[in-house]
Amino acid sequence: MESDTQRIALGLRQRDVAVLETLVEQYQYRLVRYLVSLLGRRDGVDDFVQETWLRVLERGESYDGHSRFEPWLFRVARNIALDAMRKRPMFSLDSNEEEGVRSSPASGGPSPYTLAARTEDAERLAHSLQTLEPVYREALVLRFQEDLSLQEISVIVGAPVSTVASRIYRGLATLRPQFEGEIA
Amino acid sequence: MNIDHHEGFQRMIDESLAAAISAEKEQSLREHLATCAPCLEYLSASNRVIAGLSGFSFEVNPTLNARVLVALKLQAQQVRAAQPGRQRLMRQHNVQFKVWAAFAVALSMSIVGSALIYQVAKLLTVPMHFGTAQVQAGVLVFWLLPSFCSALRLLAAPGENRGIA
Repeated sequence: MESDTQRIALGLRQRDVAVLETLVEQYQYRLVRYLVSLLGRRDGVDDFVQETWLRVLERGESYDGHSRFEPWLFRVARNIALDAMRKRPMFSLDSNEEEGVRSSPASGGPSPYTLAARTEDAERLAHSLQTLEPVYREALVLRFQEDLSLQEISVIVGAPVSTVASRIYRGLATLRPQFEGEIA
Repeated sequence: MNIDHHEGFQRMIDESLAAAISAEKEQSLREHLATCAPCLEYLSASNRVIAGLSGFSFEVNPTLNARVLVALKLQAQQVRAAQPGRQRLMRQHNVQFKVWAAFAVALSMSIVGSALIYQVAKLLTVPMHFGTAQVQAGVLVFWLLPSFCSALRLLAAPGENRGIA
């Protein structure tokens, strides 16, 4: 029996717009959330989202359907965002060849995390998340929001599993003091 | 309990949350957490961080999906329109490769065949009173040259006449 991922792979190979339409519906929010975590800002994300889907249409045949679709999609989005950062440094992001993405302070106005916080704990995390190094924020979002395995994250970010794990530990260590000394 | 001992277990808590822990370590951690308040607090704070991460809800521009779909449909049409030209180009490349491959095979057969014919003709030199030079000239004129010309014709003939799709 054909699995969902194989159906997606077939649809992408055939450049089936109906399949893409379903994928857009299904993954759009997660793609936006991932790109916000990567860029640390909300403006400009919609352009990257559109660019990502166009790249999916263009290079869809490289998705083999043997693994989950999300890691492949996020990797495409990440490559597009990193390329844009290298070409447009005024996008207020600094890139570093070794580290991938580095600090991304938002320029004025409330941060996307402050605007998106819907719970008390989220409000407490918003500022720390905004100032957190993007590579740590990205690792936390991929592990705990997207529920991806360390291996899948490793493929997306192009770093060894041990580096991904270490980014998660350091990200948690930075955010944990917000809740220390309290009984939940 | 000393600080190093807690640090070891707190490291294990991080590993457990990141799903990078073995079953044995997980069991040992569970036993430790049943009796250690500081490590339990560490776990609780970590869990609140993780829960806090789920407390964000980003606004998605309501027109974004429609905008993306319009761009995708346009791009798909452009790709499809460009497809026949691309396919024709690929077909031509494919045909060229097949012609060169056929030429290489024909040339190899011509050379190998000539060598075999020459050996057979040499055996006939004694009973038929031919000299070696005459045999060589015969093989060259009546075998090697015609077969080589046939191989060359493969390259010169138009694709449709080569019988290669």
